[in-house]
This record gives sequence, structure tokens and C-alpha cells, in this order.
Amino acid sequence: MINVMNLSKEFPKKDGTVFKAVDDISFEARDAEIVCLLGVNGAGKTTTMRILSTVFKPTSGTAEIQGFNILSQAQQVRENLGFLTGDTGLYNRLRGSEFIRYFGRLYSVPEKTIDERIKEMADLLDMHDFLDKKIEFMSTGMKQKVSIVRSIIHDPPVMIFDEPTSGLDILTARNIVSFIRQCKQRGKCVLFSTHIMREAERLADRVVMIHKGKVLANGSLEELRQQSNQTDLDDIFVHFVNQFTDEAEVLAHEF
Amino acid sequence: MNFRKVGVVFRKELLEVLRDKRTLFATLILPVLLYPLLIVGFNSIMTRQTEVLQEQGATIAVMDSTNNDVSRKLVADMSRIENYTFVPYSASTAKLYDEKDIQAVVSIRDSVGIDGTQFYKVYIQYDKSKDKGRIVFDKLKSSISETEKGIQKAQLAKSGMNPEFMELVSVRERDTSTAQKKMGMLLGMFLPYIMIIMLLTGASTVAADLVAGEKERRTLETLLVSSAARQELVFGKYLTIITLAMVNVIVNLFSISFSLKFMLANAAADMSGVQMPISAIIILLAAMIPLATFFAALLLSISTFSRNMKEARTYEQPILWVAMMMAMISFLPAVEMNNLMALIPVVNIALLFKAVMINEYAVSHLLITIGSTLLLDVLAVWATIKLFTTESVLFRSEDDGGSIKAVHQNKRNFFNPYYGLVYFSIALIVMYYLGSYWQIKDLMAGLQKTQLLIIALPVWIILRVLKLKEKDILRLKAPKIKEALLIPFIAIPAAVIVSIVSQLINLVFPFPPKYIEVMSKLFTMDASLFKVFIVMSVLPGFCEEYMFRGFMMRFFEKYGDRMAVLISALLFAAFHLDPFRFLPVFLLGLLLGYLTIRSGSIVNSMLSHTINNGMALVIVTYGDTSWLKPFISSSESLRFWLLLPAAAILFAALYLFHKVTS
Repeated sequence: MINVMNLSKEFPKKDGTVFKAVDDISFEARDAEIVCLLGVNGAGKTTTMRILSTVFKPTSGTAEIQGFNILSQAQQVRENLGFLTGDTGLYNRLRGSEFIRYFGRLYSVPEKTIDERIKEMADLLDMHDFLDKKIEFMSTGMKQKVSIVRSIIHDPPVMIFDEPTSGLDILTARNIVSFIRQCKQRGKCVLFSTHIMREAERLADRVVMIHKGKVLANGSLEELRQQSNQTDLDDIFVHFVNQFTDEAEVLAHEF
Repeated sequence: MNFRKVGVVFRKELLEVLRDKRTLFATLILPVLLYPLLIVGFNSIMTRQTEVLQEQGATIAVMDSTNNDVSRKLVADMSRIENYTFVPYSASTAKLYDEKDIQAVVSIRDSVGIDGTQFYKVYIQYDKSKDKGRIVFDKLKSSISETEKGIQKAQLAKSGMNPEFMELVSVRERDTSTAQKKMGMLLGMFLPYIMIIMLLTGASTVAADLVAGEKERRTLETLLVSSAARQELVFGKYLTIITLAMVNVIVNLFSISFSLKFMLANAAADMSGVQMPISAIIILLAAMIPLATFFAALLLSISTFSRNMKEARTYEQPILWVAMMMAMISFLPAVEMNNLMALIPVVNIALLFKAVMINEYAVSHLLITIGSTLLLDVLAVWATIKLFTTESVLFRSEDDGGSIKAVHQNKRNFFNPYYGLVYFSIALIVMYYLGSYWQIKDLMAGLQKTQLLIIALPVWIILRVLKLKEKDILRLKAPKIKEALLIPFIAIPAAVIVSIVSQLINLVFPFPPKYIEVMSKLFTMDASLFKVFIVMSVLPGFCEEYMFRGFMMRFFEKYGDRMAVLISALLFAAFHLDPFRFLPVFLLGLLLGYLTIRSGSIVNSMLSHTINNGMALVIVTYGDTSWLKPFISSSESLRFWLLLPAAAILFAALYLFHKVTS
């Protein structure tokens, strides 16, 4: 369960003014639900997620993860949250299994449970072949799978994935997408971000569209279709962005 | 803090380090190879080289203008030196000497004393900067004195005296130091230096990797979202650096003592039995641990602050340099350990090391050394944890606030810490070279030129070029009357306190006499009192405030007012290039910074600065006059009881100032 309440984040700019990366955002994601944060690059998706994972402190507003406040109960928030960062790096000199185990220990997961969960998730994500390989010799897809397992080794009720399939080949991406679906089936609350409309369409129960730090629309695909009178998600997105600003600016962005 | 998690971080970091061959080489293999090479290799090469030089032949030109029995005997005896060839002096000798074909030119002349005795003078021309030249000279000299002795003995025998009379007094030396102690002295000189550098390099090889490396490889964020607390991460990494630094030290110590015990003994007979006593090794380890922890914390905070490893390495450089300089204290003769030295990091370890190596050390020094280093260590660890919880530091993006482009966009972007330090460094260099050159030529004019042309003028020009309003930037506006009236009540007691602080420093760390001489010269210049007052008080009051409180402080306001005051005071103190006055000037800088920021007017600090310098002038000039006598003890130093009333007045005045400016 994620509950975001009037969240804002400002960064100081070089010329002395501030840049509002996230501007008064509110939404929620329930258990056994997949919510997609959809927006172009630089819309504020990553900043929002970083605030939810307690890496950043919001300028104003707050949020709760599984009922724990991100400001006053940061420790509990981190214990209940699995966060896959965008361009995740890994420790090249460690083996895949060592890397996952390291994080399991940091989350105080018992050794036996770590073993079990590594096996279970390696089955799901088809990664037995490279689990004991040194990370420096792994491909992008392998690394991403290791990262995913690492982020949820402590079996958290809430999972946040920042662009989990970006830069991956189709097979690996599908593998991960179906893995995320299984997480939902097991009652997890999943928030993921993407700028790929297709993916949002395929996975999300609900889509939260954000643009320039603000929420444009929030609802199930069906609701959004009705609101915008469009069928294709691309068109739906453009429709809402047009409402927000003039079209010229949208075209300037690359999807 | 959960120590199990600290352990998890620590074990993982160690595992990564162990898989990194470069680090392993630097910490383990290099020291094992280094000492045998250094101690034994150097020793044997030295002896070998000297032998070679000793046996090497030389060609010597001789000019015997006396040409009698004595002079001929001198030449004949010299010719018996093995491998030396003697040629008569000729027209080509000078050229051959220049071309190094002839190593020395010997010329014998004589003179006659009042009683008719014939005296001989042997001139030996040689190149003292060459090892070979010195050896040739020594051999010639000893041959000559042998000959002299022989002739003298023959003379004595002839006149019926015992020739043994020549040996009337002979010096026999008995050295009470053992080979152990001699080695200790030698080791005490260069070992601390090598060990401190080893410790620092051992620590820095991993430190940069541990946080800046994680930033660079984008793994830091994953670590931050894990449920490990920040201080657990910091401590895990901190322990890793300490471990590596200490492993480095232990390997070094082991390698040194092994080389000493076995290899050196084999290489030189008189060195047999020389070894490092276990007690020395234990004491050194005990003293090195706090230093290792301090370096670890320092380097970790740098690593945390830096965006990437390259940046971390750049920031590590100055630390390495300063530590090297400080460690070099062990090379200086006559610098010995005392309670004050024991407070200075690195220097204390170097001196303690030296004392332990010759087994003459005080336990109190050991304790102060460990205690003071640990204190710094705690500070550095605290700073690292603080940095580790600062979002803007952990996610520091490319900050091009200092770029020329940014300054073009907004002139005020010029005031960022980077440009501040660059400007300060340039001003410091110009003052050091040009200012002191001017002052040596003519003290009075030099001081004026330094203040006006080096300290004030460049600031004035920069503000014009950037088209920035001097009034706003430098806070150059009139203070409130009430503020200005309070200034004397702040400046005078402050000057008293600062002066007493100076005297206290003098007590524990006496000023060298040369220094006092130079300082008093400043105040007793050959000029009218009014002119001295202008040059020593008004000009610095105006110009130095113009630069430091007006200009320099602006560069650091990004960090908040307090930091701006603190940093500008540090730079102000450093600018005086005088270790003895660093603390007093720093304290004064803090006060002046406060006055400026608090009141928004630099005139207050200019006034205060002028009064402060004027006070020193008054004390020096009127120190002997009766009305000042009650306040001044001998030699221009203030009486310590003044401290209490001065502090009382200062705090009362500052309180009022605070109220007036709010």
C-alpha cells in the first residue's frame, strides 16, 4: 500500500531559482495492484520514487508506505519496500549470488530464507545458469535480473521498480513483466515507472500520468479512455498533455 | 547501531578488496619487497660505491715551486698513493682540470718565519661537490700530514729529543651508543616518514573506491534504500579502511624488522644483533592505530563528498602532501617531542616513532598522541556520518556554478567557493613574492603598496569589470550610530584578549628571537607616529576588511553565514603567513566577520580592525609610560588579570551590538 500526499520536491538551480521536479503529487497504490507512473523523460518519475524510498526528502507533503511515514519512520519504510533503481550499478567483483546475499544480510534476512528465496526467484526469472558468475561478466539482462532479486530479497509487501525493462531484449523484458504480474498475484503492491506506453498498457491496473512534476490523470485504462475519448494509450497520453500545455512542447520531447 | 550489519558491510568490502589485485599489490606485496631492497640494497650499494671510489685512480698535477728536500719528499710520498698518477703542472693543466681529466692540482710554496724557519704551504685545488674530489683531497691531505710528521720526528731525533713526542696527545674515542641505537636513530629518521606515507596510501587506495566509487558505479543508491542505517554503512566502510591501513602497517613493520634482523646482519658485520625490539613494535602499533583510524575517517569523508573516484583522488592529494610535510619533521635535527608537539597530528607520531626507536620516550607523550589523534578521529567520523545523511552531497550533480558561462548568465555566480579559493591563492602568492620583495626594499613603502595594490586594488578592479555594485557586494555602507559607538567597546577588549592569547601561545611555544626582532621592527619604524599609525592601523583596517570581510566572505555565503565567517577567518589567518599568529588572527577574523554580517556594514569591521591594530601600536610605543604601567608587565606584554575585565566588557558590548542590530 502506497499513499502519496501532496508531495513536492524542489532542487536549487545554478541561477539561484528553484526547479520543481515534483509539484504537489498525490496518488495511491493498493495491495495486489500494479500502478504505473507514466511520463516522458524528466517528468519527475524517478524523483518521486526516490522520495518514496527515503533517499530524497520531500520539500513539502509526505507519503506512507504500508502505513509507515517516509519522514518519521524511514527505517520501517525501507524494511517494507523493495526498490529497483533506474540505472542500477552492481558490484562487479562479486558473484550474482554473493551480491544478492549481501543485501539479504543488510535486510537481516536469515541465511536459510535467503537461500530459499534465491532459488525460488531464480526459477521464476530463469537465472540458474549465471547466478554464480562474476557480475562483471554478465550481460545487461542478467544484471537486471540480479538487481530485481536483490531489491526484493526481503520479500517486501511494497515494490517499486524504476523503468525495470529499459534497455533489455524482448525475451528478458517479457520474463520480467510476467514476474511482476506474479508479484501482484501474491498480493504485492507494485509501483513501476516507464515511458513505454505499450508496457503500461500490458501491465498496469491503474496509470498515473505525470508531466513536468504534476499529475495529469489518474485512473484505470478504461477510465482514461472514457475521459479522453481515445483508445490508444499514446493518444490518451498526448490528449492529457495537450490539456496541460500546448502541443509544440510535447513534440519537442522524444518518447 | 546494529553491529551485525556493520560486520556484513565490512566483510563484503574486504571480499571485494581481496579480489582486487592492485590493492593487494599496494598493501601486501610492495612493502614486503620494498624494505629488503631499501635497507639491504641501499646499504650494500653504498659500501660498494665507496669502495669503488676509494680504489679508483686519479690524475694529479703538481707544481713544486720550492723544489727542496722537503717539498720533493712531499711529492714523492704522495706519488706512493695507489693508482694515482702525478704529472707536472703545465700550460694545459687548467684545460685538463676543466675537462675532468685531472682531479686535483697541488701546488707547493714556502715562506720564511721571523726566526728563519721555513714554512710550507700546499694548495690543493679540487671539486668538493664530487665524491671523487673529496676522496682525492682526503688521501692527499693524509699523505701530506704523514710526511710532515715524519720530517718533524726526524728533526726531533736530530736535536736529541724523543721522536715519540709527536704522539704527545692522542685522541681515542669510545662510543657508548650501541649498534642497535645507531640503527635506531637512522631508522627513527626515515621510518616514520615511510610508515606514515604507507599508512596513508594504504588507506587511500580503498577509501576513494568505497563511497565515491559506489557513486561512480551507481551502486550507492541501492545501498541507501536497504534497511541498513547510514551509520552502519559508514562504520562498515570505515573499518575496512582501517583494516587495510593497519594490515599495511603491520606488513611494513614485519618486513622492516625482518630485513633488519636477518639481511642487514649478513650484509654488515657490525650490524649483527641489531633488531627492532618487540616492545617498540607494540608501542608503534598502538600509536599507529589511532592515526590509521583518523586517516580512514578523513579519507572516507573525502570519498563521500566527491562525485567520483577521480575527484576523490584529487582531493586526497593535498592531504597526502600535508601529511608528507608533517611526517618530514623526523628528518629535522633538534626537534624533539614535547607536550605541545604531541598534540599535532602526524607530527606527534613521527616524533614519537623517533623517540621509541632510540628507546627514549615518555609515556605521557604516547598518551597525548593517542588521545589527541582519537579526538580528531571522532570529529572526522562524525563529519562523515553527517555527509552521508546529506542528500545534496550524496547526489551531487555536475555543479557548473563555477563555470565562466554561469558567471556570464549572472555576475553574482562569480561568488562561489571555487573562485574564492582560486582568488585567495593568487593573492597569497602575489603577496608572498611581490609584497615581501617590496617590503625588503623599503618597509614603510612596501607595506603601503602591499595593502593598497595587492590587497585592495584587485578587488576594486574585479568588481568594476564584473559591473557589480561595490556597495552591495562589499556591504560598503554607513553603520548605525549606535553600532559604531559600540565598536570601541568591542575592539579594545578584543585586542586585549587576542594579545593575551598570543602571550599564552608564546608561553607554550616560544617565539624565536629572530621573529620578535622582525615584529618589533614593524612598530618602531623610522617615521612619525602618525604615519606609522596610518600604515599599521588605518590601511590594514580598510584594505584587509575590504578584501576579507567584504569580498572573500561573499564566496562562501552559499554554505550559510556561519560557515562564511568561519572560512573567511581561516583564510584571513592563513594570509598572514605566520604560524605564531594564526590563532589570534583567526579569532580576530571571526569577530570581524560577525560584526560585518550581523550589521550589514563593513565599516564596523574596518573600524574595529583599525582600533585593534592601533592598540598594538599604543602598547609598543607607550609601554614604558607611567599611565600604561599598571596594565603592562615587562617587555610589552599585557598582564593576565586584564583577561577577565576585557572578557566582561567584550561580552556586554557584543550583547548590546546584537540587540542594536536585530
